[in-house]
Amino acid sequence: MIKMENVNKSFGKLEVLKNINLEVKQGEVVCIIGPSGSGKSTLLRSLNHLERITDGRVYIDGELLDERKNDKDITNLSPESISKICSELGMVFQRFNLFSNKTVLENVTLAPIIVKKVHKTESTEYALELLEKVGLSDKKDEYPSNLSGGQQQRVAIARALAMKPKIMLFDEPTSALDPELVSEVLDVMKELAKEGMTMIVVTHEMGFAKEVANRIIFMDKGEIIEEGKPESIFNNPKEVRTKAFLSKIL
Amino acid sequence: MSDNTVRIAGILVDSFFPLLKAGLLYTVPLTIISFVLGLFVAFITATVRILDIKPFAKIAEFYVWIIRGTPLLVQLFIIFYGLPSLGITIDAFISAIIGFTLSVGAYSSEIIRAAILSVSKGQWEAAHALGISKKQALIHIIVPQAIKFAIPPLSNSFISLVKDTSLAASITYTEMFRVAQQITARTYEPLWMYTEVAVIYLMFCTVLNILQTKMEILFERSGN
Repeated sequence: MIKMENVNKSFGKLEVLKNINLEVKQGEVVCIIGPSGSGKSTLLRSLNHLERITDGRVYIDGELLDERKNDKDITNLSPESISKICSELGMVFQRFNLFSNKTVLENVTLAPIIVKKVHKTESTEYALELLEKVGLSDKKDEYPSNLSGGQQQRVAIARALAMKPKIMLFDEPTSALDPELVSEVLDVMKELAKEGMTMIVVTHEMGFAKEVANRIIFMDKGEIIEEGKPESIFNNPKEVRTKAFLSKIL
Repeated sequence: MSDNTVRIAGILVDSFFPLLKAGLLYTVPLTIISFVLGLFVAFITATVRILDIKPFAKIAEFYVWIIRGTPLLVQLFIIFYGLPSLGITIDAFISAIIGFTLSVGAYSSEIIRAAILSVSKGQWEAAHALGISKKQALIHIIVPQAIKFAIPPLSNSFISLVKDTSLAASITYTEMFRVAQQITARTYEPLWMYTEVAVIYLMFCTVLNILQTKMEILFERSGN
């Protein structure tokens, strides 16, 4: 579903991603862990053009999304085809980023209506179904500022799902939440994983990673240091840096 | 009461309605037309700069630089007195509209640009992640949120414009201030006449202040 080949990314002299090679298969749930500043979010964000890589190739669902050499685009893709490929990906942000001028329902229906040209009634119907799924049907006419962080994040998940993505990207979805609100968001994510959604989750929630992930990727200083099944990463990490990180947080 | 006081009171009363009438018939339309057209120009200018549409972004930058760097009175003189040398003769009203529109367009484009830039980057990112184009994001998400930031400074520009329209008197357009000048020429009471016209400008601007406050409350309530 997703493939990154020899991906490098630097901001000026600072190398944030170093020779990343990664493949994610359909239905897989991959959790990326690592210290802050290790490039986890940048990796995720380069999958939908929120960050542009400096070198390497990114494929989404078999299609080439980005290929760059020395920071030069060599794909010749039009903005339309890029946004079409990106629309296969749903993204959930750390700070929710709900559209603050729209109600909960409008947040969920907007993109299907203006991007996919879905009819409003159909879009509303599906949005209500998704809001039901994340447990927020009763909040459909509220503005985001009247919701708690956990509720906002669940709306954000519904909004991303409304585009019927094949892959969901989560960028530290619970890091900005009060501790008591974390589980309501994680529950929705577990439900999604159970339904077979392909997911890449950047997270600090080790409990979630252990329980839900098929594979854990540990990153440090822009590199993938170690990857494997949750049991093997958490119980017998092979690399020194993985051990050091896990001993600090577990 | 001395005869002089009575005479001045009579002049003030007699001139009040002609002044108010000139204000409502000429100053107000000149202000509103220039402001609406100016906002349109400002919006286009701000948008091409923010979306960095080449080569318009550079042209827009150049336009803002010229207008902000030269006095409005000089611009009006160039349009009305200067252009006829090139065979372009424009009547006073249209010249005033052009001058004020260009001025509002340049200054307000900076206000609109700043308001758009003050909408959080996360809103653009969320839109992008959903496949919403930059243009659609501007229309549906960014501009509606930016309006709240733009209202106080734009109201300020509008109030400034009400008063700046008095410059049109210098290019022979008979708006409120020019009417005051004409009455003064007849009555020789500059202190009282100009004070009276100042009071009428103040009345207009007071009404606008009240409207501004109402609009701010309205946009504060509308959820964003």
